[in-house]
Amino acid sequence: MAALSRRIFTHYYAWCWGGVRQRSLASCTSPALTSTPAVEEQLTQSPPATTTHTESSMDQILKESLKHPDYFQVAQLFTVEDLFRARVHLGHVEGTGDPHMNQFIFGSRLGHHIIDLDQTAAHLRHALNIIAHIAFREGIILFVGRLPQHQYLIECTAKECGEYSHCRYWQGGVLTNSTKQFGSITRLPDLIILLHSMYTTVQQHYAIRDAAKMLIPTVAIVDSNCNPKLVTYPIPGNDDSAIAIELYCRLFKNAVLKGKEKRKEVLGL
Amino acid sequence: MALRVLANRRIISSSYNSLRTCLCRSYSSIPPDEENVLKTSNPSEDEVKKGGFATAFEKYTQVEQEEEIPIAPPKTFISLLRHSKLMQLGDPKGKVIEGSIFHVVGDDLYIDFGGKFYCVCPRPLRNAEDYTRGARVRLRLQELEIATRFLGSSTDMTLLEADAAVIGLIRRASKTSEAKKI
Repeated sequence: MAALSRRIFTHYYAWCWGGVRQRSLASCTSPALTSTPAVEEQLTQSPPATTTHTESSMDQILKESLKHPDYFQVAQLFTVEDLFRARVHLGHVEGTGDPHMNQFIFGSRLGHHIIDLDQTAAHLRHALNIIAHIAFREGIILFVGRLPQHQYLIECTAKECGEYSHCRYWQGGVLTNSTKQFGSITRLPDLIILLHSMYTTVQQHYAIRDAAKMLIPTVAIVDSNCNPKLVTYPIPGNDDSAIAIELYCRLFKNAVLKGKEKRKEVLGL
Repeated sequence: MALRVLANRRIISSSYNSLRTCLCRSYSSIPPDEENVLKTSNPSEDEVKKGGFATAFEKYTQVEQEEEIPIAPPKTFISLLRHSKLMQLGDPKGKVIEGSIFHVVGDDLYIDFGGKFYCVCPRPLRNAEDYTRGARVRLRLQELEIATRFLGSSTDMTLLEADAAVIGLIRRASKTSEAKKI
């Protein structure tokens, strides 16, 4: 927790004073209470000599990137067969099912739900696109998951793509009371990716509710026993098999890396 | 008896001859119509019948044109599901399946058999030292997911595990990778 807070704080510090990388206020998802007036003054300053693009051309490129349906070609990262081989279509027993997940269920086989992979593929492509766009704009991405057997994998995934993770005990005010929690003004994540949307077998992860309160978009793998209502970009799929989690981690990591690569290529930053 | 044999031989021989000519005709490169034409025409003209070596030389020195291997259309989810092992399994209770041990904690074996959940089984007493990580075991499946409705609750309580019993060993773990592990 302390390490995470330090990382976010130093990043924010560097963003404010040291790095001077231009960033439009529109992409800032943390509400006004956590940003200081000094930040706005910094943004109106002229860009340093290191950047090769003018502010207007960079804005132009950023706007153009949004018009493209698949700017980072994330649709080529996986196929429906890959999802099938990773057992993404296997859902829980009917008795554990959440009624809000019925729209994503293909059917049930002898009491076990089967998730519709065609819908999953569409949702996954959309989510990967969002992840890549946020990485393209240097957003902070937080990987969250609470199942102990996949904790290490999620932490490694976050490290490999240069982003953050939090797979431990969730303290209540991490997002909603961050100033008091960390003892200083903190920059909150721009996107939260949940590999497991449940905290325990019966309780949903608090990050989903808190992110919705703080206007932070969430990408979450929702199994047949999860509630997808508060999730911004739900991905209906199996979150209990290790092979499925490995696939998701790989896809999310590749999407983030694609976004960052494109930023270097297009904006030269 | 002798007459019948002779008659059979004639039938066979005549049919064999006709078959031979048929085969010769179909295997030759030149169509039967042109064969007669060539015999009568001048052999020094353009269409010279090439010998065996010439045709073989041409065939094996020509640049190989890569045949376009037709790419199979991507398999649909419905077809994959229909032909999956889950559908073949039917009612999981009592079915004999194969799994592999991916984790060992003391005498508990964590076995993955390709379902949503793994199963945890105690190490059998017979050949106990062979049940290591990477070994393939035979299981008798009871349930794919241990979940039941308790009194007073609105949803089932799930253990996030499958229920199976180890029947026997199929293959020991390979020595190169799994020798050091428990």
